[in-house]
Amino acid sequence: MPAGAILKHELGGLLASWLVRLWFVATVVLTLLILAANWGTTQTAPMLQALLFPYLVFPWFLIVMLLGISPVTGSRLDSLADGILSRPVTRYEYLLAAWAARVAAVLAVYLVVMAPVALLSVFARRGVADDPVTAYGVIATLAVVGLIQTFLVTLGFLVGTLLRRPMLAAVVLVFTWLPVNLVLGTFSLEQFSPLTMYQAVPTLLRTPWTAVEEPDAPASNREDAEALAAQAEQFMRLLSGHSAPHARQQQGGFFEPRVFEGLSVTRLLAGYGLPALGALLLSLWVFNRRDL
Amino acid sequence: MNLAIRTEHLTKVYGGRVIAVNDLNLTVPEGAIYGLLGPNGAGKTTTIRLLLGLQRPTAGTAEVYGQPAGVNATNVRRAIGFLPTNPSFPGHLRPIEYLDLLGKLCRLPREVRQPRLTSLLRAVGLTGATEQRIQTFSTGMCTRLGIAASLLADPPLLLWDEPTAGLDPAARRFTLNLIRELAPARTVVVATHILGDIDQICDHVGVMLEGRMIFSGTIQQMRRQLSGDEISLELEGPDDAVARLVEAAGGLSDMAVELRPPRTLAVRIAEPGRRAAALSELLCHVDGSGCSLHAIRSGRNETEHAYLQLLQEDQAHGFNRFDIRLPNAMDAGRSDPQA
Repeated sequence: MPAGAILKHELGGLLASWLVRLWFVATVVLTLLILAANWGTTQTAPMLQALLFPYLVFPWFLIVMLLGISPVTGSRLDSLADGILSRPVTRYEYLLAAWAARVAAVLAVYLVVMAPVALLSVFARRGVADDPVTAYGVIATLAVVGLIQTFLVTLGFLVGTLLRRPMLAAVVLVFTWLPVNLVLGTFSLEQFSPLTMYQAVPTLLRTPWTAVEEPDAPASNREDAEALAAQAEQFMRLLSGHSAPHARQQQGGFFEPRVFEGLSVTRLLAGYGLPALGALLLSLWVFNRRDL
Repeated sequence: MNLAIRTEHLTKVYGGRVIAVNDLNLTVPEGAIYGLLGPNGAGKTTTIRLLLGLQRPTAGTAEVYGQPAGVNATNVRRAIGFLPTNPSFPGHLRPIEYLDLLGKLCRLPREVRQPRLTSLLRAVGLTGATEQRIQTFSTGMCTRLGIAASLLADPPLLLWDEPTAGLDPAARRFTLNLIRELAPARTVVVATHILGDIDQICDHVGVMLEGRMIFSGTIQQMRRQLSGDEISLELEGPDDAVARLVEAAGGLSDMAVELRPPRTLAVRIAEPGRRAAALSELLCHVDGSGCSLHAIRSGRNETEHAYLQLLQEDQAHGFNRFDIRLPNAMDAGRSDPQA
């Protein structure tokens, strides 16, 4: 019962906050503008790609990370200690419930706007050439973008927990995330950058369900594992100051402009899901060690 | 004697720089109204937060009803009703919503939670404010809400930190009366630096200074131990007459006399059995000195004086305050003034 009560309380506080309300209104307005601008001229996949631009590239990452910062920072910590953490509640219960509330609020705003728009784009007759967008592609795209939003919330959560001061945490987050595409490129991890994901959206939207359920799926898993191992090796080489020749050639055609045959949803899920999980566990550990 | 609270060598050092609690051995008997007394920065609040598990001790242990306190010790917090100094609440909630949330955190079923929170709001006089958001509450109303929150789960131990801070006289009177009413069924620990509160409600007292416990016992023990048989005579009259009186009183047997500004004669009678006789002799000298007697006060009633004397004595002990004995040896050697 305590975790459920905290989740409901935090979610209520978030949905009542001016930041979430303004963000929701801004998201609706921007989505309608993009939809109207592309309605009669753009095919479904590029239009959905354009609609996802604010979530993947700019500017919603700022708000999503800011929403993650607040629960255990600044003056909020006093009321938290006085009111909730002095009751029979563990810190794990509180932090997990607060994190879940933030993720739920962000995903609610994202899905409430994007899910109907995606359905409308796919099924409406708009007078443009047919685009082979698949149900799997739409679901996978929305899920991957949702996972990226979850990762951003968790990153904000971790930095807020570590730094305690909301303003400092916000500045650190912005300066950490803005150059992320460049940093991931330096370590040959472009596949995980939001910009690459944005470029890969049309390919993913057109991917048929059968393509991921072919009999050679184990081989595909092996490729994923090999690719992850190669990227980890490249990352370590760069950290240790050694050069990594021909790293890009090993990736096949994935990094060729606008060609994304090598796109792997599994790899993307692991690439964002595991760091999000790691950040959440680190937040729990840090908060559990802290004096209130 | 069953103990509600027991700490052994409890120590809290912030960042390796500030000693907030210094080797604290605290025992609070079950059913006591225990006043945790000390100047600002003495470590009272930190001690309470260590008991609640809001902070981690640097060394030592704390137990509540025999269970170790800690960050995730929910069973300990279930037994405690905590009222912080100037409590801070989520301002966007209304009192009923807030108490309902706390009730859920305490795992109270709905059929218990709802009647209890409404009856508590009535008891603390907030029935008329249930429509308001907490952010519009005055300090007194916040304290009342904090009191209701601390009593919601009907805990056997109440830890109230400065419960009368910032209250007007009526609200202060209400809070002190409430503590008296609650006391028979519960153990109450009141941390404060307001001596008047301690005097009115507490039967036990612990005096903290610079993170250390410099006295722990009943309030009568503190007064007896420190003020002893001191009697204060408040005089009025010319300075030379007062000086003559001091000189004459100094000659009386079994009596030490000290003049305190402006014209108070502090008299300590060495032999308790001769108090009346010695005082009678002294009063005869007062009559003959040309001074008029304004008031006579017994040191036994002056908690404030005893408290200040404790602080002064502790400062005067200097390096003697250092106790080199090992924890195990201290367990055997340190005696509880209660015992």
